[in-house]
Amino acid sequence: MSRRAVDAVFQGLFTLTDIRVILRRTAPSHELSGEDREAVRRSLADLRQQVSILEEELLR
Amino acid sequence: MRCTGDIEVRELEELAINIDPIQAGGRLTPEAMKAVIAYGDGYSVCDNCRRPFRLDAIKKPPIDAFHRDLAAFVHMDEARVMPGARRGFQAVADTYVEKGAPVLLTALSHYTSFLAIEGARGIPREIPKDAGNRITGDAAAARIEEVTREFGKPPALLFVDHFDYQFGNEHEVREIAKAAHAHDIRVLYNGAYSVGILPVDGKELGVDFVVGSGHKSMASPAPSGVLATTKEYAAEVLRTTKTRGDLTRRQFGVKEVELLGCTLMGATVMGMMASFPAVKERVNRWQEELANGKVVIDALRSIEGTVILSEYPRRHTLTRVDTRDSFDTVAQTHRKRGYFFTSALGDRGIGGVIPGATRVWKFNTYGLTKEQCGHLARAFTDIATENGIRVG
Repeated sequence: MSRRAVDAVFQGLFTLTDIRVILRRTAPSHELSGEDREAVRRSLADLRQQVSILEEELLR
Repeated sequence: MRCTGDIEVRELEELAINIDPIQAGGRLTPEAMKAVIAYGDGYSVCDNCRRPFRLDAIKKPPIDAFHRDLAAFVHMDEARVMPGARRGFQAVADTYVEKGAPVLLTALSHYTSFLAIEGARGIPREIPKDAGNRITGDAAAARIEEVTREFGKPPALLFVDHFDYQFGNEHEVREIAKAAHAHDIRVLYNGAYSVGILPVDGKELGVDFVVGSGHKSMASPAPSGVLATTKEYAAEVLRTTKTRGDLTRRQFGVKEVELLGCTLMGATVMGMMASFPAVKERVNRWQEELANGKVVIDALRSIEGTVILSEYPRRHTLTRVDTRDSFDTVAQTHRKRGYFFTSALGDRGIGGVIPGATRVWKFNTYGLTKEQCGHLARAFTDIATENGIRVG
């Protein structure tokens, strides 16, 4: 059982949800403010971390 | 893009500003989206269901506390989650309306109120609207007298919408409830367009039942809603089962008859719960929502021939507009006929207006940002100008 992998899947989905919400809030132009861009940067960094965890846990 | 097979991904909210009148208040919060991901499986909230085996008693996740919070939110004593406001109407009608009994609703009531009365074999009687499409306390009082004379007894129940679905107009709930109570008539407040988007105090309004819609106004998945009431009426509308199997002698504990036991057992209730903190907070920003909407209303009013059919100034973000003497005149000769308008809106990233509608239509700005409302306002005036309609 890999609790770490399961948590990484959910955390990744939640992080993608945060990006989805920014797309909704800025529709239809999707012109992001500085604050939004920073939020997306943080989300993408977190997403990469979750992918790394999944690689470690499931593909080692 | 597809979810799977023939099921397309719904991308309307991500790609466009959606002004559909019934969808605005039900858009999920990020918290609800996450809860739906985690609780999509059927009976997902039942992992830790223990005695007395009823939804509103589940402690993990804290659905029991959510029920208490819901009752407090609308200032009533007891609340239950329901599969939509309509099931709240049905539970109350089934409890109090006997065959052939008169029930009052209004000339602007939603069809599900009629169906709830019909299901209980009651007889609907409408309170008329005034010239401004509002339901007044005086009209209710007069209709109560008429119906009481007609049936030889007062109505069993009265349904009143705080804001109706046709115009988004505000109606005289307090005065109507007072008139009803003077004849011992129970009052059901339909808050499908209020509970979850603006502050609602059932006790202060003087009503006996508060019904809200999760998917219409509480940022929740469908079907979801709330039925709240007083201690006195909770004992009746939320009565528990007394039945017993004649062969097996089985009984069914504390299951509530009108709810058919448990109601929302997965993603619906968890979506409601997850959105609830944001919903409690957002009702306090109602004036901000109205101010954002006003930008759009002002833009429409500046377009020659366009008439706001809803009460003005607006007290709700759902608005009915008449463009027969503006956009519909363009449709008469445009190569796309009536579709020119929704097509032009689509080109500007705006959706939610019925395709081909250029005569009388509705829209809702609830939940849009100030920037999105500005974009929408400009879109309407730009489309008018481009098609030779005077603006200003």
